[in-house]
Amino acid sequence: MRTLIIALAVIGWATASVAHQLIVFAFVEDGAVIVETKFSTGKIPISGEVRIFDAENTLLLTLPLEKDGTVRFPLDPDASTQGLSIEVETSEGHDNYWVLTPDDIERGTEN
Amino acid sequence: MKKTFATVLTLAALTGTTALAHYGMIIPSDSMISQEDGRSVGLTLSFSHPFEGNGMVLDAPVSFSVTHEGETTDLMGDLADTEVMGQPAFMLDYPLERPGTYVFAMEPQPYWEPVEDSFIIHYTKTYVSAFGDDEGWDAELGLRTEIVPLSKPFGLWEGNVFQGVVMLDGAAVPRAEVEVEYYNEDMSATAPSDLMITQTIKADANGVFTYAAPSDGWWGFAALNTAPETMDYEGKDKAVELGAVIWVNFEEWTGE
Repeated sequence: MRTLIIALAVIGWATASVAHQLIVFAFVEDGAVIVETKFSTGKIPISGEVRIFDAENTLLLTLPLEKDGTVRFPLDPDASTQGLSIEVETSEGHDNYWVLTPDDIERGTEN
Repeated sequence: MKKTFATVLTLAALTGTTALAHYGMIIPSDSMISQEDGRSVGLTLSFSHPFEGNGMVLDAPVSFSVTHEGETTDLMGDLADTEVMGQPAFMLDYPLERPGTYVFAMEPQPYWEPVEDSFIIHYTKTYVSAFGDDEGWDAELGLRTEIVPLSKPFGLWEGNVFQGVVMLDGAAVPRAEVEVEYYNEDMSATAPSDLMITQTIKADANGVFTYAAPSDGWWGFAALNTAPETMDYEGKDKAVELGAVIWVNFEEWTGE
């Protein structure tokens, strides 16, 4: 968990300074992780890359962003016990991230 | 004449604080909650003279709600007792499930103010942005009276202006009077004149007012109008002051 926090702090510092216009949010529902993105203008990015890291900052998955600005993937309970970090980079070069904490995952799993 | 003057002075001394501006207050723990801040926002609801730190009793409100993405949720059942400025108040910790702007609004019970010989109802609200998303920052709730933001009501630097339009019964109020007061939470601010405890400005012909905050912190804006109806007090019809109150946080400027 400590590694995740340190990694996120580095990511947060890097992204906050260069790309603040993309909003990334993720939640767990029905055994899947749903990632939503939009620009601060309200517009939806139509393409991009989504990278999912575990708490040790190991890249688990790389997925293309769907045309509606979302992506969905199955939650791997074993790989996500300490949380997940989800980075999104649009084809225009905007990027940002969302951290699914263990509490987020637990809440999503309970519902 | 001397006796009358002395009586007035005595009355003023006894009631001086109550003659100053009353404010319904909703103060969140932060007006911009990032994902690093957690997944909830703390709120306190109170009634006071915020510059002078004089608290008043806030009875259980008529309503307290949150509006997000156009949906309004009743939060009355979630309020817990607390104290603000030594007086009964309410608090809650509200979970933020999604990004966007959350608008918290309270309609208090009518407050009988004997000095003004009228009732006071301050419809009070504040806006909180969650997780970097400001969508909904200009939401109009449709309250009987409210200040609809023309400036984003969070993310303002000290020295920025805040603009809003005063609405009453669905229409803008030309030349509406707006009182402005700082929440002097640590009592560090002093006023060289009582005239500067509550500053008063007026809206333009379209109900739009503008104010530049001189420091960071929470600032309350109260647009005051008299209701066309009266309320009964001990068998007599009394005027009702309708207040549209919004609390806005200004951030400390970080530059040199």
